[in-house]
Parts: sequence; C-alpha cells; structure tokens
Amino acid sequence: MMLRRIAAVWASKAAAKICKLLGKQGVTWAGKIALMIDPDILSHLAGAVREKIFVVCGTNGKTTTNNLLCAALEAQKKKVVCNHTGSNMLNGCAAAFVLQAGWNAKLDADYACIEVDEASALRIFPHFRPDYMILTNLFRDQLDRYGEIDITMNLVRDAMNLAPGMKVIVNADDALSAFVTMESGNPYVTYGIGEKVFEESINEIKEGRFCKKCGAKMEYHFYHFSQLGDYYCSACDFKRPYIRYNASMIETGDHLAFTVEGRRITANYRGFYNIYNILAAYAAAREAGFALENFQEVLDAYRPENGRMEHFLIRGTQIILNLAKNPAGFNQNISAVMEDKRKKDIIILINDNDQDGTDVSWLWDVDFDRFCADNINSIVVSGIRCQDMRLRLKYVDIPSELEPDVEKAIRERIANGCKNLYVLVNYTGLYSTHNILKKIAGESK
Amino acid sequence: MKLTIGHLYPDLLNLYGDRGNIQCLMKRCQWRGIEAETKTFEINDAIDFSSLDIVLLGGGSDREQKLVCSKLKRIREDFRQYVEDDGVVIAICGGFQLLGNYYATDDGVIEGLGLIDLETEQGKGYRLIDNIVLRSDLVSMPVVGFENHGGRTNIKKNKPFGKVIYGSGNDAQSGYEGVVYKNVIGTYLHGPLLPKNPQVCDYLIQKALERKYRKPVALAKLDDTQEEEANAYIYNRFKGKTSRPQKQEQLV
Repeated sequence: MMLRRIAAVWASKAAAKICKLLGKQGVTWAGKIALMIDPDILSHLAGAVREKIFVVCGTNGKTTTNNLLCAALEAQKKKVVCNHTGSNMLNGCAAAFVLQAGWNAKLDADYACIEVDEASALRIFPHFRPDYMILTNLFRDQLDRYGEIDITMNLVRDAMNLAPGMKVIVNADDALSAFVTMESGNPYVTYGIGEKVFEESINEIKEGRFCKKCGAKMEYHFYHFSQLGDYYCSACDFKRPYIRYNASMIETGDHLAFTVEGRRITANYRGFYNIYNILAAYAAAREAGFALENFQEVLDAYRPENGRMEHFLIRGTQIILNLAKNPAGFNQNISAVMEDKRKKDIIILINDNDQDGTDVSWLWDVDFDRFCADNINSIVVSGIRCQDMRLRLKYVDIPSELEPDVEKAIRERIANGCKNLYVLVNYTGLYSTHNILKKIAGESK
Repeated sequence: MKLTIGHLYPDLLNLYGDRGNIQCLMKRCQWRGIEAETKTFEINDAIDFSSLDIVLLGGGSDREQKLVCSKLKRIREDFRQYVEDDGVVIAICGGFQLLGNYYATDDGVIEGLGLIDLETEQGKGYRLIDNIVLRSDLVSMPVVGFENHGGRTNIKKNKPFGKVIYGSGNDAQSGYEGVVYKNVIGTYLHGPLLPKNPQVCDYLIQKALERKYRKPVALAKLDDTQEEEANAYIYNRFKGKTSRPQKQEQLV
C-alpha cells in the first residue's frame, strides 16, 4: 500500500514537472495520475493534516479568498496545503496535497486551504470532511454546465450534508448562499457589509428575485451589487441574518478600507468585491482561533497574482490583468475599471472552452454600456468568441477592434496605446495571457 | 412608425441573455428611424395586449416557471386573442414551453398557456446543452444559437421553426427545433437569439409593422457585416459535426 502511494506521488510530481517544462498548466494531470495509481491518496494525505481543513466554495472570489487565508495562516508560521492556482475540481484538489507531500509520500502540514468548485464538492467530500467551508456567493455562471442556478444551489447543499459537522462561514449579504446554508442544517457563522455603501445600484440582472424559502418577492433595503445587499422576504421570516463579522465604514475607489471588530483594514487595490474576499479570509482565520493582530501586514505583503488584478509595467505601459468570467464578476470589473479616471485602453478576451462555459449568452447580461465614456481610448476584442463580444458592444453603440490573437492585441496596444491598459479575460484565457504578459515583460528588461 | 415591445416577466423569466433580444429589437428599429419602446411587465401587473406589437416571453428555471404558471391563467384569454389576431410573439426556452399545454416535470405538471397545441416532458438522464444550428424557412441565413433545456417538446402537427443542422432541437429525435404558429415563434435558442440572427429579428419587426399599419412594409437595409460574421463563425464551426450532449455528472 505504501509502495503504491509513493509511486502515485512520484508519478504525479514527474507529470507536473514535465508539464511545467512544456509550459502547460499541469496540476490537473498531476492529480489525475495520483488518483489513478492510488485512489485513496487524497483521503490519506488529507487525514495527515494536523489541525484544520478549510474549503472555499462559491461562484466568485474563491481563489483570492483562499490565497489570502493561506497567507494569513502562513504568517502564523503554519504549514499550509493550498491549491494556489485555482485548480478546484477533484484532480486539482488532489494535486495540491500530492505535490506538497514529500518523496516518501508523507505530508507535513498544519492546515489545508482548498478552493473547491461548487459541483465538485460532492466528489471531493467523500475523500475528506473539511472543518470549515467559506461560501462566498452564488451567481449565475456556467449555466451550460450546471443547467440552472437552482441546480448549483442543490449541489452545494448536498455537499454540506456530506459533512454535517463542517462549520460554514457564509456571506450573509447573499440570500442564495445564506438560504442554502440554513437549509443544510450545518453550523454557520456570517460575514457581510451591514451598511449601505452605494447611493444607486447599477441596472444589473439580479438572481433570486423571489424568496427561495416561500416564493414571495424579495425586498431590499439596499443593494451592494448583483443580488448582494440587505434583503428580506415580503411574506415570510427569511431575511439577511445577523452579521457576526461586519465590515463598516467602507471606503472604495483607488483603494479599499473597512473596519471589522474595531480594526481598520486597508488594501492598496481596486474592486469593491475584494472587501468580501478579505473579510471572508479574516472571518475564517478568526473562527479557527487566530487573534490576527498582524492581519494588516499580511494584506500589505499580499500581491494579487494569477490574473486577479495582477499588475505589469511594460515599456512604460501600466497593465492590469483581471479575470472576468460571469455577469456579476464582469460588472464588478467594469466598476473597478471606471473608478480609474485616466484614459485607458481595454482588451476583452472571451473564450468558450469547456472550463469557460461553452455558452456566451451571459455577455448580454453584462452592463457594457458603462464603457461608453470619454476616457475609454480603445476597446479591442479577442479570443475564440471575439465576434460575439464585438456584436455585444455594437448593440450599445460602442465600437471595437477585432484581434483574435491576444498576444498581437497586447503588443499593438503597448506600442500604440495610451499607456494604461486593462486586459479582461475569462477563465481559459487567463493562464495563457498571464504567460504572454510575463514573456513580453521579460523581453523588455 | 412606432413599435411597442412587451417584455413579460423579466423578474422571473430572465435566464441568460434575454435582455439581448430586447436590445436587438430596439436597436434595429431605431437604426431605421422606427420608434421603439419596451414595456416591462412584472408578474402581478395587468397587461393590455392591444397596446403591444411584439411580445417577448423569456426563459426561466423550472422552479421559476412554476411560479409564473400559477399566474398565467389571468392573462390566458387576452393572450390567446392577441395570438389569434396575428400578434407577434417570440418565446424562448421556458417561454416556448409555456406556450403549450403543459410541461410534465419529475416534480409535477406545470400547466401552460395552451396557446399552441404542443407538450413538453422532462427528459430522462440529461439536459440538452450545446451550440445549435438550424435552417429555417423564415430566413435565408442559418439560424445559430445555444440550447440548454431539460424538457423534450412535442410540437405535434405544428410547423417547426427550423430543421436541426447541429444540436438536439425540440426532443433530440425529430430533427426539428421550435415552433411557428401564425406570427408566433417559439424556440429553445438563446445565445441570445436575435443579435446573431438579424434576419429573424427583422422578420419579427416586419410582421409587427405590417400588422399594426395594415400594409406591406419593406425594411431599410442595415450594415449587418458584424452580425453575419458572428453567425458564419458558429455555422462554419459546427456544420457537418454531430452534437453529443454530455450527461451533466460527467462534467462535474
């Protein structure tokens, strides 16, 4: 048995190395090979984690939340297993443990922080029972995979039922996440933004307009974005629950700031949604018993990577690469871009590979008309479905240039653009675009 | 000239991209100097069908469709008169199912509007999810879109919207997709349907204008290069291939 386990670890590590040499994202393969050789390897290695296992679940914010939580735990001198790159299905999850194990197939870890795809949780939890689940939010995403958001909600609830002792750290501002959590019967604790932040909410498509508990219309005291806000049912007793970790005195714009548990927390990047990511990581570490006196230092040292508001400076052009893969996320991206008042070029890359979702209808649910402003210098559309993207913009009277090859588009804008470039890409474009930017940055050094 | 578009129940039926169909109808009127207005009706609103020229009934989840169907009885007679009087309707996905007599799901039967003699039953095993390409008699361009439905619809003796070139269509067997009845089009295609199929959009606009102004109408030509290229991309990518919708659990 031990021999088989060691073989699995060696084969998996070799596969990851080979993929890396070939410039491919090999994590998924590494996990698949390990599980093929030793189907019990994930439960065995997870069982070797000395303290707690966290999983991060939800539509948006998984990777950032998970990486922040990992950084907070590492700052406490803990050894942490983490799937940093966001490979969050069964194979990616297995790879995180296997690649961290030694050549003797032994794992030396205090904690595990594992982001888990909403649907894959059902396949992962039979291998190990997490102690905590962070549930960030549930938005419409990849409906071609899940069918309908109601199906996604059921998958998450069923996963919770597989681990009845698992405490859920849930975003109270999302009625869908809160409902699923309460319905599961699992113990839970909440985080959220209790106060009203924006005077007007943008005209977004909102999920869950009707109470999941009784079917009556949901009312809101206010919205933050999408369906997140202070909600209550017009007929039954379902409403936003009490918020245990409540962010108040919110500042958003070219930086972020909020107060939780009497502590002022600031972050030097954009994107209102990042407040939720920071808050979720904070709440999770607090729940696990950490005092977190140094949380601000952790944040200051944290560099967004893997295309989550990732910065590049290439030949005098400031470039921000960001993932935008569903309407809620894209609308938040547009808000973050428009908070930058300088002139800017924008490249939008839309692919329709399996991991992106093969249905690009969601582009029409994004409020692209907000890109109709004087400080937009140019928009270039790229990726497999660039023509759909160009058409989407045409119907809000925004002209765009077509360049299916994103590397060409980036090089052209660096050469001829206004020195302030945003690259917004959906999932499968992320890794390749990240590598292209790294490559171009390397050339100009 | 002016057209009024009635968007029915976007509070419940607003699955992926329906807004794109409204935007497309509006813009293609406005670009031609035809005034266009959209009236949005929520589930408890009264609807005066005589004030509408095009009705859009979108898609929703099975659960939300159930909520809608309980309210539909109140509008059924007015809606039927509108349809029989050649009123223009575009019903997508869940909206298409609701035009029929019923949708039998595993959790019970959702009663439909019964405006067209068709019936839907929940399919066994998996949803039909994939890109889809049709040939339709209504237009010369291929019709392209995306389908995502658990229901299998039997349109009986009615005329289909198109013949399936790639994809599953109404029931994954008949080789046909959607339904055309008078000036009603029911279809599973979203994507959304109209922007990439400008001829279908113009067909609806033309029928609505001819009905309202009681004379033949020739629509001014628009520059549809971008629409045609987006349409051709999907057509060329999928023509001659075979669609194999996967069981959802295989994708998990």
